[in-house]
Amino acid sequence: MEKVQIVTMALSLALLVLVLQLIRRRYLREQYSLLWLFFCAIILVFSLNTKLLDTTAALLGFKYAPSLLFLVGITLCLLLILHLTVVVSRLAERIVRLTQELGIMKHDLEKYEQGADRP
Amino acid sequence: MNSEKMNVCIIIPAYNEERSIFQVIRRILQLHPDFTVLVVNDGSSDRTEQVAKSAGAHVITLPQNLGIGGAVQTGYRYAAARGYDAAVQVDADGQHKPEELDKVLEPIRLGEADMVVGSRFVERTGYRSSAGRRTGIVILSSLVTLFARQPLKDVTSGFRAINRKVIEMFAEDYSTDYPEVDSLILVKKEKFRIKEVPVEMEQRQSGRSSITSLKSVYYMVKVSLSIMMKSFR
Repeated sequence: MEKVQIVTMALSLALLVLVLQLIRRRYLREQYSLLWLFFCAIILVFSLNTKLLDTTAALLGFKYAPSLLFLVGITLCLLLILHLTVVVSRLAERIVRLTQELGIMKHDLEKYEQGADRP
Repeated sequence: MNSEKMNVCIIIPAYNEERSIFQVIRRILQLHPDFTVLVVNDGSSDRTEQVAKSAGAHVITLPQNLGIGGAVQTGYRYAAARGYDAAVQVDADGQHKPEELDKVLEPIRLGEADMVVGSRFVERTGYRSSAGRRTGIVILSSLVTLFARQPLKDVTSGFRAINRKVIEMFAEDYSTDYPEVDSLILVKKEKFRIKEVPVEMEQRQSGRSSITSLKSVYYMVKVSLSIMMKSFR
């Protein structure tokens, strides 16, 4: 086994353990945990089998195998970030709605306690 | 619709407006004692809430700052739930004159329009503003005119009246941060009728526009993009 293989394997295993810990402690919701486990699996497979990257790259016509790694890695990162901004937008919308409802209910409660403005 | 029977809710979004809001509320209630004045206090850090209450307004205090659009929409949601026939948005800084309320409400009363925008530019009125601001408004106004297929001039005016149907729509769908221009497109997309009427406006008593010079370029780009996105939604 080459040195570089040990390093990459150790890193991917560390990531896997970290993700599992986060899921166990419920810092990660199920919907995202699956995605991360999937990522870990892919990284682990490629670090265990170095030939796999070379053959896939050759198959797709990449002259320099690591560039396939970068392409896929960066694309996945971008998609993940895009997904997260969608999630953040949805959350922001919900917070606005909740803030509005809370404000209205506080007002109604105040009026109710004063005994005025009964519909 | 009979003018005596129309339930009108005046919505005043306010963020740290303790200096001007008392006068605004008092003048509205003096002229129209039958209107409900609702102040949406958008997480102010000053005494806006107490001042508005002492002037006789209903006050909804938001637990955190939502920005003008989120605040105004709170008012529309309130008006929708309470079954008001019309709602008028009025600025807290004293820019919009209570004497002009009838002008924006009249077309709603008569059923001539679903939304009425009080405009500084339809006719020559006493309003003065900086050249940069006027240029910005002209650009936005031509964009809106293009996408809404109706000539509209004062597209950033916050002085606007809407009827029951539009209240219900805005309660569900309203832009959060810079809503004035966007909402015109929304209204037109739903085939509602917009009317622009000339009104007199005051120079601001206090406070400043939510649009400062540094932010104005960002504002222009964002609003233009938003107009186009809304049109193709």
